[in-house]
Amino acid sequence: MNIHDISRAPTDRSPEIQFDPDACSLSISGASFPEDGAAFYGPVLSTLDEILKALDQRCVTVRIALNYFNSSSAKALMNLFLMLDDAAQAGNQVIVNWFHAADDDTMKEFGEEFAEDVRFVRFNVIPTAVTS
Amino acid sequence: MTFTLFDNEERMAGRAEAALRDLDFGSDEARAAYSELLDAYRKSLREQRRMMRLGDRLQEQLSTVNQELVRRRAEAERALQQLRDAQDSLIQAEKLASLGGLVAGIAHEINTPIGITVTAASILADQVAGLRRQFQAGTLARSDFEEFMTTADEASRLVLSNANRAVMLIQSFKQVAVDQTTADRRVFELKPYLSEVLTSLSPRLRRAGHRVVVECDEGLEVDGYPGALFQVLTNLVMNALQHAFEAGKTGTIRIRARLFDADTVELRFTDDGNGIAAADQGRIFDPFFTTKRGAGGSGLGLHIVFNLIVGTLNGSIAVQSQPGEGTTFIIGFPRVAPARPVAV
Ligand SMILES: Nc1ncnc2c1ncn2[C@@H]1O[C@H](COP(=O)(O)OP(=O)(O)O)[C@@H](O)[C@H]1O
Ligand SMILES: [Mg+2]
Repeated sequence: MNIHDISRAPTDRSPEIQFDPDACSLSISGASFPEDGAAFYGPVLSTLDEILKALDQRCVTVRIALNYFNSSSAKALMNLFLMLDDAAQAGNQVIVNWFHAADDDTMKEFGEEFAEDVRFVRFNVIPTAVTS
Repeated sequence: MTFTLFDNEERMAGRAEAALRDLDFGSDEARAAYSELLDAYRKSLREQRRMMRLGDRLQEQLSTVNQELVRRRAEAERALQQLRDAQDSLIQAEKLASLGGLVAGIAHEINTPIGITVTAASILADQVAGLRRQFQAGTLARSDFEEFMTTADEASRLVLSNANRAVMLIQSFKQVAVDQTTADRRVFELKPYLSEVLTSLSPRLRRAGHRVVVECDEGLEVDGYPGALFQVLTNLVMNALQHAFEAGKTGTIRIRARLFDADTVELRFTDDGNGIAAADQGRIFDPFFTTKRGAGGSGLGLHIVFNLIVGTLNGSIAVQSQPGEGTTFIIGFPRVAPARPVAV
């Protein structure tokens, strides 16, 4: 495993993170309430920051499909989106697809709020069929 | 330096502090306003951290509570299962107890004729020994011999009739005992079967002085489970003894069986005792419902009856009762039991 690998297997309390450096695509899915938010997201975000800063004229796609997250995860997400916004401002094409269960209004509103906080990223809020 | 989720904000604040140090603000008012703003930003940053920690902690507590709920629920389900198992074994115990009661009844019933037989036989033996002594001594008078013959007649009559009675009792118990211990299906004639069952239960009834009347269509054949029927009748008789008739008072139990329609047997079990309060009538078939808790009631008798009638015999049971006037249990079941009984 190289130090740039930011992929993570899912656990009860932390999401699955998949990163494909060639396609420049990132996916975060599942539930996110790690015991220590900074410890979980810190290394991921700082590595990602380095990767993003090295990009030039690339297309970056990010898929967020979380069904639940806690406050520090929300903060980590905000940091992620600001990083992406910087990368977009620097000339990359960045798309974020925010998936939420069709009947989950809270998750939908979180997505819409994050969408307002970025200026250069294309931020889509997409409902998905409810499974249960 | 370790990573914090507020790196961005810290960097911003740091830059603003550097600006406060290094830049020329033109006026003291402008510098004061900038400094005030920076203070407010720092405060707000601390506030944000606090809110985040609070939010995380709340979430943490919530998930602990949730886990606790899940755990307790599993525990409650386990306890319920244990209760169900306990209920099953109590029902088993009640069935065994009634088997025990049956054995005790048989022993008691047979004891009397056997005892009389033993007494008569030993009297006879004594008399024969005495007669032989007189005969060998040459002192046997005609009157002695006549007396002996009277006694011998009486004794052998007693031995014969009581031995016969014992044989008859054993015969009737035998079938009942076989039925009691097997779930076997067979064809049997209802009327003699009812009489046999009642004979096996009669010691207790007679001791208390109650009267039992059995009325049944002649030649009514049932293809089903005599063991289940035996258990039902035993439990109903025991209940009548325990609940219907006050100690010291005597009553009548009437069992009427007939073909209700081509396929259905109707059996009415009536006592003229205390009756059942209207409020209790809907609950008497529930497991553990008893009005004699702590006084020998388990509340399982009628539950077993219900299970046997509905489960094994594929029938139905209802109760009619007027407090003070008595109780009737109305039982209906198919004359020919359906192919497979529901296990009880
Ligand atoms: N023949 C009857 N007369 C009056 N009450 C009865 C009769 N049979 C049953 N009961 C009532 O129904 C209740 C439940 O009976 P049962 O299930 O056999 O439990 P138990 O005999 O252990 O109390 C009894 O406690 C009694 O109150
Ligand atoms: Mg009872």
